[in-house]
Amino acid sequence: MSSVEDILAAENELTHLLGAQQAVVLSTRIRLARNLDGMPFPGWAKLPQRKEISDRCIEALDALPKFRRGHVLRMGELGDRDRAVLVERHLVSKELAAGKSGAAVISRDQTCSVMVNEEDHLRIQVVKAGWHLRGTWHIAELLDDALGGSLKLAFSDRLGYLTACPTNVGTGLRASAMVHLPGLCLAGHMDKVSRALNQDGLAVRGWLGEGTEAAGNVFQISNQQTLGLSEEAILKHLGGWIKNVVEQEWNARRKLAQEEGEKFVDRLARSLGLLRSARLLTSSEAMNMLSHLRLACDMGCLPEERRHLVDRLMIEGQPAHVQARAGQELDSDGRDRRRATVVREALKDFPEVVPPTA
Amino acid sequence: MSQPIKCSLCEEAATVHLSQVVHGNVTKVHLCEACAQKGGATDPAVFQLADALTTSSPAPTLSCPKCGFTDIDFRKRGRLGCPSCWETFGDALDGLLLKVQHEASHVGRTPAGTLPTGQLRRRLDAARLEMEKAITAEDYESAARLRDEIAGLEKQLAPA
Repeated sequence: MSSVEDILAAENELTHLLGAQQAVVLSTRIRLARNLDGMPFPGWAKLPQRKEISDRCIEALDALPKFRRGHVLRMGELGDRDRAVLVERHLVSKELAAGKSGAAVISRDQTCSVMVNEEDHLRIQVVKAGWHLRGTWHIAELLDDALGGSLKLAFSDRLGYLTACPTNVGTGLRASAMVHLPGLCLAGHMDKVSRALNQDGLAVRGWLGEGTEAAGNVFQISNQQTLGLSEEAILKHLGGWIKNVVEQEWNARRKLAQEEGEKFVDRLARSLGLLRSARLLTSSEAMNMLSHLRLACDMGCLPEERRHLVDRLMIEGQPAHVQARAGQELDSDGRDRRRATVVREALKDFPEVVPPTA
Repeated sequence: MSQPIKCSLCEEAATVHLSQVVHGNVTKVHLCEACAQKGGATDPAVFQLADALTTSSPAPTLSCPKCGFTDIDFRKRGRLGCPSCWETFGDALDGLLLKVQHEASHVGRTPAGTLPTGQLRRRLDAARLEMEKAITAEDYESAARLRDEIAGLEKQLAPA
């Protein structure tokens, strides 16, 4: 079994943790950008230097208890499909997957993944299902301290952690929440919310990060500023806004359910019906219908304990995942057929949609 | 016909023209299709970086003694060559940092094992907030105690 197959098969934080999933916030993520002192950044380093950087970082990471029995994946040794699976799971970025000299060190439970030789030497990432800003930060902080103990990191007293790009220097911290906002989208308020967040220094992106569309009404909200604010202040700022967005989302949902009445339930019921009978299902169609099912679970129209299954289908319905599960390359029709089969199978014993209780 | 406007991030012809208001400052940027998609035209940081790269006046050519990276390279790539480049291009980068980050100095944590200035700074941040709160609540006794603590922390953090 290859490491990537192992990752796909393993029960993990985002797809299997029954009960950890929450309404609205799918996951919390912390990213820290770090570099080795005295070494050129990956984009400017020569091949032998990148090799040295990679060896030193992997050695240090491998020694940490957090990564015991984890995975060390060198991008140059993986096939296209395996790398695409890692991107779809947010374990590595598209940029890391596109290069040959990058690597990823991933903890057994897939909550921690460190990208080596991406734009910076080290990109520490910690992800937890649901909204857990403090807990997620605490894990990242411990990892950072452990790495700082074994590696000499590039740091300046005035500018903090030195990074390849000026947009990351200082704390190197990008804190984000993956939020599911069907209420605000259906009510047509998303542009307004997005603008307000942008104006207060937060970025709003689609499901797969920079430059991607918000399939399934899922957005990633993160801080922009990394310098001149303490980690504490950055987390507080993001936390305050997420709380606000979650409240606005609930208001939009309740208003919608109340004003639309039967129409609201009908929309969710139709999505379940379509997902249960479609023979061909495109990726974006699946995402948008699954978004309705997640909304139904949040609102009490479907049992809440089914929510983790919806989350799993959102992740496993992506193109590379569908092919990896099939164990073969599939053309577009083949993928749509396979996706429809997987979804149909998973939703077979779902109960009917009932009027909202939330 | 007039010369086409070039992309702020590469040399391609710009087809996406944007203005954005962030913290009350208007920024304008021109991007080619590829950079607009890649950078996310809605991402304020990328946006301001592109803006800073086009509007900052060309500096005399600087080269990093450690890795050979030049300011021309920076203009092309928007990324630096090595940690020492931050020192080499320090002055030139300060203006850019103020645009992209609105600040030019770090107040967060420090690597484990070095001086715990990060902790002192964190406490300083917190103490300042607490003092504001105490003043609002007219709790002048606490405010005075916090004022003394802040003065002490500032002294410890001042460069020797």
